[in-house]
Order: sequence, then structure tokens, then C-alpha cells
Amino acid sequence: MTLSLSVPDILVARAKTGDLEALEALYRAFETPVYHLARRICRTPEDAEDVLQETFLEVVKSIGQYRGEGHLWGWVRQIAASKALMRLRAEKLRATDELIDEAAGAPPPSVAAGIDLERALEQLSATSRAVVWLHDVEGFTHEEIAERMGRTVSFSKSQLARAHARLRRLLSPAVAGS
Amino acid sequence: MHCTIEDLVALRDGEGSVWARRHVEECAECQAERERLYQRVAQLKALPALRPPRDRWHAIRDTVLAERSHRRQRWLRSGLAVAAALAGLVIVYSMVKAPAYADNLAQAKQQSAQLETVLHDYDSDSRVMSGREADLTAQLEDQIASLDGRLAQFGDSGVGEAQLVDLWRQRVDLMQQLMQVHVTRAKYVGL
Repeated sequence: MTLSLSVPDILVARAKTGDLEALEALYRAFETPVYHLARRICRTPEDAEDVLQETFLEVVKSIGQYRGEGHLWGWVRQIAASKALMRLRAEKLRATDELIDEAAGAPPPSVAAGIDLERALEQLSATSRAVVWLHDVEGFTHEEIAERMGRTVSFSKSQLARAHARLRRLLSPAVAGS
Repeated sequence: MHCTIEDLVALRDGEGSVWARRHVEECAECQAERERLYQRVAQLKALPALRPPRDRWHAIRDTVLAERSHRRQRWLRSGLAVAAALAGLVIVYSMVKAPAYADNLAQAKQQSAQLETVLHDYDSDSRVMSGREADLTAQLEDQIASLDGRLAQFGDSGVGEAQLVDLWRQRVDLMQQLMQVHVTRAKYVGL
């Protein structure tokens, strides 16, 4: 995903005053990356849309606290990740995750025929998918992920390893079977 | 024995064990696995952007405007509550303050009336005075007359309650001075 995420300082300054046009411009600049991140973590497109909305309501509410340290996208991304993970926790997906992970050992025949990365991601448990996405794509540390998930660093690391093990099996069934 | 995925991920993140690092350097199979890991992460990063199916801005804007409206109403309600509280304080203050003001005013008026009676009974116009006494008496009576004029206009001038009491006290003071002039003269002549 390659998007230009630079935002003029004057736009941020106007947004801090509550200017709706400036806030809309920020929304337009970040709606796709926020939705993209949320969609990779959440189970459904509807959940991802809700995260998008919640993220920008938080941006509108807290933009005054943004000190301009680091890229604005980094700040928005932290909010988006927190909202998405909160949704995961709120929906108590962990119980469902366990079931999915237990089934991971025996991929269905259709998977053995080979699927692309997009579909392989969908096959991961919500927690594993969130960890692999946040760590390997968005650049969050295990400490940051653990804090947002309310879990330990070890948990984050083990989820990342499980995610890669499963992706490997899903993407290269022949190798996995050998 | 080969490296596990966990070993390779840890190595990639700079946290792998010494054994795993040495093994990967020597093992072609583990090197290939590590390469697949790198490729997979690169592919994840290269996945096309997923765009929101609907424009959520209008819903966000409506929520923001509704919150701002609620905030304004809260401020307005708070402002009205503060104004009501202040008005209550003013009423209570004036109720507490009124007796003191009324007492002081009544006391000054009473003193003034008593002195007025004494001076009237003294009947200074029918008595003989020196030129200096007459001049001093005239000055004091002029000042009292001027003060009476101000008291008469009190209702129009918007003078405060404290000032009204003060004017009456000034009048009492001038009348006491006038009394003093007459008493001194009476002592002097042995009346």
C-alpha cells in the first residue's frame, strides 16, 4: 500500500481550532489507511467502518493534544490500532480464536490447492492477524502491541510466530506437508 | 535439527539465539525458509489498499456538530445556574444588609431632628451675637442648606444608600457644630 500521507502544518493548525473543513481534509487524507489497518484487524467490513468512524471522532476530540512530534499519520495510526484492538477485545473474539487456531493444524482441501496471501490472512485468528499486521506491516513493537491488547510481550511474540507458521502452511502447502 | 519459525522471526527482529544464527549461516534449508519469511512480509506490505465502501465523513460531522451543540447547551445551562446563584446571593446580601442601612439612616435622621428641635427652642435669631459668631453661624447654616438641597435631590441623583446615610451624618455634624457655637457664646456671656 503506497499512499501519500503528508499533511500541511497549516491544515493541522486549522483542525486544532475545530475548523470542520480542515477536519474533513484530514479525514480525506487518512480514511483509506485507517480503514485498511482496521480491515486487516477486524473480522468484518462493518466493524472496520465503525473503527474508522470511532478513530476520527477521537481525532476530532484530541487533535489539540497532538504536539506535532512525529508524523501525524503515526499519531492517527496509534488511535486506529487502539480502537481496532478494543473492538476485538469487546467482541470477546478470543474464544472463537482458540477454535480457529485448533483447526489450523489441518488445512481444508481447498487451502491445500493454494490460496493467495489475502485469503490466507483471513484464515488467521483475529488475534494472530492483528499481531502480524501491527508488527510486520505497521511497525508496532511487541511492547506496544502487548500494552494495547492487555497481554504480555511473550504473548505477542508467540502470536506472531503462530501467524507466520500458519501463513507458511496456507501459502505453501507442499512445503508444509513435507 | 532446523530452526523453527519462532527462531527465524526472532532472528529477523535481532533477538535470535547464537545457535540459531550460526545454524542459519550453515543451513541452506533454513536460509530458504528465512527468505520466504522476508518475502511474505514484503508481500503483506505490498497488499493493495482496502478503501472504505462508504463515506463516513457525514456521520462523523453530524456527531461532532451534535456534541458541540450539547456542549453549548451545557455551558448555557451552567451559565444560567451561575447567574441564578449570583442573583440569589445578591438578594440574600441585600436582605441581610437592609436592616443595618435602615438603622443607620433612622438613627442619623433622629439625631438631626433632635438637634433641629433644640436649635429651634434656642431661637438664635432673637439673641445678640458677635460679628464672628454671626459669620460662623451663617456659614454653618449655608452648609446645612446646601446639604438639604442635595438630600432633596437624592432620588434623582442616583446616590447610593451608604452615601445617603453619610449625607445625613454630615447634616448632624454641622448642626452639632452650630449648637457648639451657640453654647460657647452662652458660656462666654454667662447666660
